[in-house]
Amino acid sequence: MTEDISRRSFLKLAVQGLVAISGLLALDGLRRYLSFKPAPPPPKRFEIGPESDYPPGTRLVLPEIPAVLIHDQDGYHALSLVCTHLGCVVERQVDVYACNCHGSRYDKSGKVTRGPAIHSLPVFQVERNQDGRLVILKG
Amino acid sequence: MPWWKPGSLSEDEAWQLTAYLLRSNSLLPVGEELAIDQANFLAVHLPVRQVQDERGWQIILVGTLSLAAVGLYSLGKRTLIGRVNGSISNQNEGSARLKQPARPSFFHHLHPPSIPLPQARWRYTLGAGGLAVFFSLVVVVTGILEMFFYIPTPEQAGSSIQVISYSIPYGMLVRGLHFWAAQALVVVAVIHLLRVVLTGAFMPPRRFNYLLGLGLLVIILFLDFTGYVLRWDEGIRWALMVGTNLLKTIPVVGLALYGFVVGGEAPGLATLNRFYAWHIFGLTLFLIAVGVWHLFRVRRDGGIATPSPELRSDSRRITRDELVRREVLAMALATGGLILAATLFMPPIAPPISDPPTILTEEVRAPWFFLWIQQLLRHGGAFWMGVGIPLGALVILILLPYINKPVPDDQRGRWLPRAGRLAQIIAIGVVLAWLALTVLEMLE
Repeated sequence: MTEDISRRSFLKLAVQGLVAISGLLALDGLRRYLSFKPAPPPPKRFEIGPESDYPPGTRLVLPEIPAVLIHDQDGYHALSLVCTHLGCVVERQVDVYACNCHGSRYDKSGKVTRGPAIHSLPVFQVERNQDGRLVILKG
Repeated sequence: MPWWKPGSLSEDEAWQLTAYLLRSNSLLPVGEELAIDQANFLAVHLPVRQVQDERGWQIILVGTLSLAAVGLYSLGKRTLIGRVNGSISNQNEGSARLKQPARPSFFHHLHPPSIPLPQARWRYTLGAGGLAVFFSLVVVVTGILEMFFYIPTPEQAGSSIQVISYSIPYGMLVRGLHFWAAQALVVVAVIHLLRVVLTGAFMPPRRFNYLLGLGLLVIILFLDFTGYVLRWDEGIRWALMVGTNLLKTIPVVGLALYGFVVGGEAPGLATLNRFYAWHIFGLTLFLIAVGVWHLFRVRRDGGIATPSPELRSDSRRITRDELVRREVLAMALATGGLILAATLFMPPIAPPISDPPTILTEEVRAPWFFLWIQQLLRHGGAFWMGVGIPLGALVILILLPYINKPVPDDQRGRWLPRAGRLAQIIAIGVVLAWLALTVLEMLE
């Protein structure tokens, strides 16, 4: 009798365990299924044309990146125009950058002058490829 | 022209454009003029199908509905029944039809043979719960109609909305009804929530149904937001960006959640497809399932909250027929109002999302029901302002029936019972804060 009950309870336990394991396996499958990203990641390299298009003193807004290309005595670099708060594109006003979504302000060099943003606008590296064209490396 | 701003070209500009197109295709010799006086004999610049030429019919529809409402209103004077010495006396001229059918249907479940008069009054219920049901039905029906023509791709979303609005007979009405019923749904849901808290009806035995109702409010807000995004125009671009980037700020699961919602590293085709699927299927399924459950629980919990019979000052009741009459009256008025709103105010549509983004120069606005979050986000860390505080407000509302002291039987079924003070103050505070933040953001 006792042997019979323990056999039954063993079977019950085994069934419960197997169902639980199957469920976990299925959940992991679902997690992997859902984490697939159908869209390709956005590009990280932007070719922006020959150096001669950007003489010293240039501060040009490039909306497709979006960034400002700066050519000063330190050479070329690009300042991102994506607000570090929640991703809106900031507007360039004379010498500051303003986000119209939540009112963040950045100075000329991209430093936060008014919240809610905490981090400065990132600076992208600018390279010259073998044809003498400029390439902005994002991130 | 352009299609998101119909009527913005003058007649003369339209003619010049036509002439230009003809000339570019070598159909109009150089030097020949094309002008408005040629309209009679030249079939190249026909007037577009008269925009909104259904408006007349829509106004007539509002008229017939209003007349029907007047009729329904005047039908309602003699359908009261009273309870005298515990037995029901029928004050009607006709029969009150108080018998319950042998197997009550869902309709009969929701409409008992009679319900107490004081708690059936407009000034008690505000009609808000019933209107929410009705607006949900309108949204589902018009949404199905829109699905016949709406195309959920970034290239075609805007122009298919354009086709719905300007080419399909009554298309503007269908879209307008869908839009206005969806906005009204948020408003009546909040009014219903306030009514339930301010009359003490959120306490047990109706506590569980109160929680279901809060769930419905959240589902409605998600439905409104996903529907708003389906426009896929410059008007929704930044709200979508902010809304999805907020997900990233959630610790641990944020990035996975972002991938699940957006389907990539930036909003795009996959995002539109997912929002469409959630809007027309996933969330709608939740809305219907939880909504039917919520309705079912109303009766299961004893109907609308009332004191027990011996404590009632007014023991009169209204019949099922009278209840249905009032519901139909409310529906007629609401339909008329919706058609009027849809006829007079076109739902917004802006130029399709351009790539690369046009640099933001204008002010950016969240949809009106999320303006309060936009205002909050100006004042602190993105996670706490955009996720923490809204969730906190929800938790406070969930906790109301747990922190408030029980509402005694004799205080049930009326406005502002003394035992419900704490919850009343908190709920009014939450709604006032919501309104204040919304107004502040509108003034930015």
